Amino acid sequence: MAVIEVKNFKKSFGSKVIHEDVSFYVKKGECLGLVGGSGTGKSVLLRSLIGLEKPDSGSIEINGIEVSKYKESQWVLLRKKVAYAFQGGALFDSMTVAQNLAYPLREHSHLTSHEMKLRIESQLNDFGLAGTELLYPSEISGGMQKRVGLARAMMLEPEVILYDEPTAGLDPYNTKRIQELILNLKRKGVTAILVTHDMPTAFAVCDKFAFLKDKVIKEQGTPDQLKGKPDSLIQQFIEGNVL
Amino acid sequence: MNNLMAIPFKEWAEDQLYFLGGLGYLIKDCLKEGFKKPYYGSLLIEQIYQVGYRSFPLVLVTSGAIGMVMALQFGYGLEKFGGKPYVPRLVASTILREIGPMFTSLMFAARVGAGIASEIGSMVVTQQIDAIRALGTSPIKKIVIPRVLACLIVLPLLAALANVIGNLGGLVVGSVELNIDAQFYLRRVLETSNIKDYMSGFGKTFFFALFIAIPSCYFGLNVKNGTQEVGVATRKAVVTSSLLILVGDFFLAKIFWIIEKWL
Repeated sequence: MAVIEVKNFKKSFGSKVIHEDVSFYVKKGECLGLVGGSGTGKSVLLRSLIGLEKPDSGSIEINGIEVSKYKESQWVLLRKKVAYAFQGGALFDSMTVAQNLAYPLREHSHLTSHEMKLRIESQLNDFGLAGTELLYPSEISGGMQKRVGLARAMMLEPEVILYDEPTAGLDPYNTKRIQELILNLKRKGVTAILVTHDMPTAFAVCDKFAFLKDKVIKEQGTPDQLKGKPDSLIQQFIEGNVL
Repeated sequence: MNNLMAIPFKEWAEDQLYFLGGLGYLIKDCLKEGFKKPYYGSLLIEQIYQVGYRSFPLVLVTSGAIGMVMALQFGYGLEKFGGKPYVPRLVASTILREIGPMFTSLMFAARVGAGIASEIGSMVVTQQIDAIRALGTSPIKKIVIPRVLACLIVLPLLAALANVIGNLGGLVVGSVELNIDAQFYLRRVLETSNIKDYMSGFGKTFFFALFIAIPSCYFGLNVKNGTQEVGVATRKAVVTSSLLILVGDFFLAKIFWIIEKWL
């Protein structure tokens, strides 16, 4: 059964049409790579899956439930299960790293302060961020901010994670580290959608791809199927020759 | 010429309608979510400190200076008619009814309104508001309601303080510059001012608090195109709040006069 299913999705901002007729699905435990050139609306599509943008028409089903017409109060409940890892981390700059990680736990769990502390320490270790607990986002590097953002998104152990360019701007070592984290979660059965321009990472972690172009999904398929497509633009994109 | 004027007016009118509609939705959301759990008491206390305690020196200086200037102007102006004994009553009544609450609110709009709009606007640009939503919480509850409530609690208290400091400023100038006996000045203020004078000014500050907090939150939340718009939102917040205070003051003054006649 599909955990996420998008049908005939349409979205525009004013007179600018972003998506005309987008449909795809992701099964449980799968990781879908949402790829395409800059400005094709990958992030808009991802944001719509968590209710940060509203589609003009079409349907979004999560675990078989139509959510595109959800009110904000209904989304609040769903967002405990569907996490969003922002491109820049989107950390709360008035809070320390530890307070950022504690935020979802304080809001949605019944853990004691001690349990929260242990959970945060363990998460920081997993993400190679030990020793940054008391630092503010402005005191750590961009790559570390990104990892803190990912760690925060995963604090509630969600069923679905939406990654918005998790490796953009990272060095090869940290890129590898993020790849491993995504693969670890995949092994645990977490469903994911990965928006990225980083094709090596996409091929390392994704089970299938959707290629966005001209407001629609131009091609869909497994990595091997995508590699075998005759479309020169897709081939150039995969090889990193364009965009 | 007509055509040239038509486009800006149409855009302006659309903007105003959009603003009023947006404000209406924000108020509706605040009322809807304000009564639902969870409540964030610690965020409210933090905001009371930020908007209240830190505005204290500004209010102190402004109200003191206004009281002094008013006493000086009334004193010199009335001196030739032998009207100096009326200075305490005039200064007190003007401060309590109008100048104290209004100037405090205008200063508050400049300091706190601008702060709210720029802070929230920056949070929008850096996706922190999106993050609040994505983490299953409400920006209305976490950001807007604590700020609106803090303004509602703090502004009347600051205005009350401004009334006292303004009258003290008047007393200092009255006794030092105008040679009015300090005890006489104080007695006249207490004898001639009544609770109606005080309540008229004090009552308005609750409305002024809303005129400042809600548009400031609205403009902050509606920042869309990067950091440049944060500045625009801040400017709009201060201008709109100030205009609402000044224009609203007229209507509120009328309403309070009508209420006073009833009582």
